[in-house]
Amino acid sequence: MSSLFNPVVAALTFRATLGRRRAVLFAIPAVILIALTLVLRATHPAAGALWPSNVLGDFGFSVLLPLTALIIGTSVLGAEIDDGSAIHLLATPVPRSSVVVTKFAVSAMMTMVFAALPELIAGLLAPHSTKLAFALFVGALVGSVIYSAVFVAASVLTSRAIAVGLLYVLIWEGLLGNLVGGARILSVAHYSLGVANAIDPDQNLMAGLTLATSVILGTIVTIGALILATRRLSAFAIKGEPA
Amino acid sequence: MSAIELSNVSRWYGNVVAVNDITMTIGPGVTGLLGPNGAGKSTIIHMIAGFLGPSKGTLTVDGRPSWENPGVYKILGLVPERDSVYAFLTGEQFVRATAKLHKLPDLAGATRRAIEMTDMADAADRKISTYSKGMRQRIKVAAALVHDPQILLLDEPFNGMDPRQRIHMMDLLAKLGTEGRTILFSSHILEEVERLSGTIQVMVAGRLAASGDFRAIRRLMTSRPHVFNVRTSSASDDRRLAAVLVGRPFTNAVELSGKGLQVRTSDFGAFCGQIAALTRDNGIALRELLPTDESLESVFGYLLSDQAN
Amino acid sequence: MSVEAPPPSPGSATGVIHDLGYRRYDGPRLGRPRIVAALTWHSFRSAFGLGRGAKAKIVPVITFLALCLPAIVNAFAMSRGNARLISYDTYSPVLRALVMTIFVAVQAPELVSRDLRSRVLPLYFSRPIRSSDYPLAKYIAFTAACLVMIEVPLLLLYVGSIVNVHGGAAVWAQTKALIPGLLVGLMWSVVLAAISLFLASLTGRRGFATGAVAIFFLLTYVLSQILLQVETQTAINQGPVQVKGGPGGPIVAGPALPVPTAEKVSGLFSPFTLFDGVRMWLGGTTQADQVPKPGSFGAVYALVLLAILALSLTGLFARYRKARLA
Repeated sequence: MSSLFNPVVAALTFRATLGRRRAVLFAIPAVILIALTLVLRATHPAAGALWPSNVLGDFGFSVLLPLTALIIGTSVLGAEIDDGSAIHLLATPVPRSSVVVTKFAVSAMMTMVFAALPELIAGLLAPHSTKLAFALFVGALVGSVIYSAVFVAASVLTSRAIAVGLLYVLIWEGLLGNLVGGARILSVAHYSLGVANAIDPDQNLMAGLTLATSVILGTIVTIGALILATRRLSAFAIKGEPA
Repeated sequence: MSAIELSNVSRWYGNVVAVNDITMTIGPGVTGLLGPNGAGKSTIIHMIAGFLGPSKGTLTVDGRPSWENPGVYKILGLVPERDSVYAFLTGEQFVRATAKLHKLPDLAGATRRAIEMTDMADAADRKISTYSKGMRQRIKVAAALVHDPQILLLDEPFNGMDPRQRIHMMDLLAKLGTEGRTILFSSHILEEVERLSGTIQVMVAGRLAASGDFRAIRRLMTSRPHVFNVRTSSASDDRRLAAVLVGRPFTNAVELSGKGLQVRTSDFGAFCGQIAALTRDNGIALRELLPTDESLESVFGYLLSDQAN
Repeated sequence: MSVEAPPPSPGSATGVIHDLGYRRYDGPRLGRPRIVAALTWHSFRSAFGLGRGAKAKIVPVITFLALCLPAIVNAFAMSRGNARLISYDTYSPVLRALVMTIFVAVQAPELVSRDLRSRVLPLYFSRPIRSSDYPLAKYIAFTAACLVMIEVPLLLLYVGSIVNVHGGAAVWAQTKALIPGLLVGLMWSVVLAAISLFLASLTGRRGFATGAVAIFFLLTYVLSQILLQVETQTAINQGPVQVKGGPGGPIVAGPALPVPTAEKVSGLFSPFTLFDGVRMWLGGTTQADQVPKPGSFGAVYALVLLAILALSLTGLFARYRKARLA
């Protein structure tokens, strides 16, 4: 009876993802977010300043979170599939569902550390924004989870997961999500915003979904993505290299 | 004893047929999968290993299909050809992690045993990124052996190995084969397969061209004459033997050279049965009698030219 | 019985080289310029996924269509009698910035990272070209690709406009407005290609390169936007408010004179805002993206842009000075 989470796979994944230059790529946005907050705090400490919601919302939530989740989510499994080392993991009796769930969990955890946590720190550093900070932090936690599931699944389904993910984040969520109301239903950003909005209703967040809708849709998307990824991984075929 | 059974297995990618209606059984011992590049050897190995599903036909390992069946890896180890391992781990860590994934009870022991078997004890503490290609192959073999599998699949295992490593690997595989395991390895290098395995499966352009012991295969092709080099004690005796042989119905041709005779015969059995008596009855001392084309190379060549015809 | 090698043919113990019809070629060869031209053309094609499977064309096609959309919408609207909706100078700024980010992030690795990964550089460099020819060819090819992506929609906009206006003077007016727009597009292409190729050439893994390029452009873009918004807000709070008419409606601008330095500096942090600053410094009138009119500060914008361009190109060429495998 094997549990869904496999510590060996997790340890390998952590080492593989963090031990490369790729890790720098996760850290840079977080550092910039915090640096920006500090700079603005020093230059614009005014009470009624609107910049915290810009920084935390536009920068932290709309760019930092999805991009970091994308890079992390596509590299926990996608990198191994891409260079072929996944076969060593898959040639063991570890159940495929376990592989997917473990990778997903690692990705979610790392995204929380590199995106949600800096969001909280920046939010606490920004003046008079504690409630907003907390709301966005919780929203970012939720977003980390859902994004991770989606991007891990994408990296199993296609070899061009980052390109597809970029199209999704920028065009679908970035442009259409704000213009076309219906697109919100399929937008992870909006699920997260919905949760954040429930904690601290803020006009600037432009969240379009209620808490209940966000939670339900978010759960469906997460579980659906994981199931899809498991099924595809079970039928993992070596890309045809005739020899 | 586990067996691998393929029954009318085909695999295609769109219009390209990689494997075409293959039926074969692979049992204990070392079996060589031989064929030129593009013959479908890797495809077959990946199908047996559960990383490709057959488009048609059934493929079972120890009675159950290996496709979509992670449990098969308890009895099966795969050494893939692609040079991709977790380069950031040391050799020992990699083998040990594999042991952990197999949930082996004695991690340290199994790891040590596998590393010693593949002669990697010296390099086990270095990162895999510092290994040469041959060393990477060996560490992959160690990881595939750590759970003591009944079946071992190796895809072009001798690629990138120097002669000393190759001999060592061959000895290892031979030993594993005599222990009763089922070892299947693919190669397009005739010399390797010849040295290591008695049983071969020859694949050409996706089809199974021949299977069994390669000498027996050779004999099955009676359409081509066997060629023997014969030498007697003197040139005049060579000539006398040539005259005797020409008179025999099993002889197709005899050629004389400074080094003896070359006899072409299409009836191997008759020739072998009668040559000793012939020389004795004619007072000719036989110094040397060598079949000249029992090597795999000529077998292979005949098969290919047969296929082409 | 032992196994023996094939019987030696009588008399020959030495080796012989068989004439399989191998021919030397002593005729004219095309030479270095043609090699570079061939490499450029091939790279240009791969920037759009041509010559590869269908999957490689997805992103170029989608991004190209996305960029053409405003032009099509405009043509449609103008046929109903409206004035031209979009200015040639800025086209549709946010859309263009985002879409071009996607395009360069996904396609630059196709040009350079692929070669690094499959280790074909020694093949290229063992031909009679200089080591600087390779990055040069890639840069020209990718700049051309970006030009196609940016200028074709502008031309579509132009065509869609002139079919809907009447009279030679109106057509001439459209043409006059188009030219600066095309030049702005050239500026975009030259710089975007340089930066993205440089970043992508740092790694052989395409996914990683895409991530790095995307993060660079998006982070800097949002950073600039936020700084600009903050500074504009501050300026509004601090000075008299002025309301100006603009293409999309009234724009609340900062104080009439002077635009505070802080606001001008904010636009320096992203290539896209730099483009806007330089454009306005050179006489462009349309305002977009909240980048303020830089006035003489625009020279700084231009300098920064040139510095970025120089750095990227230097980095790119330095990368290939030694024909390393990875």
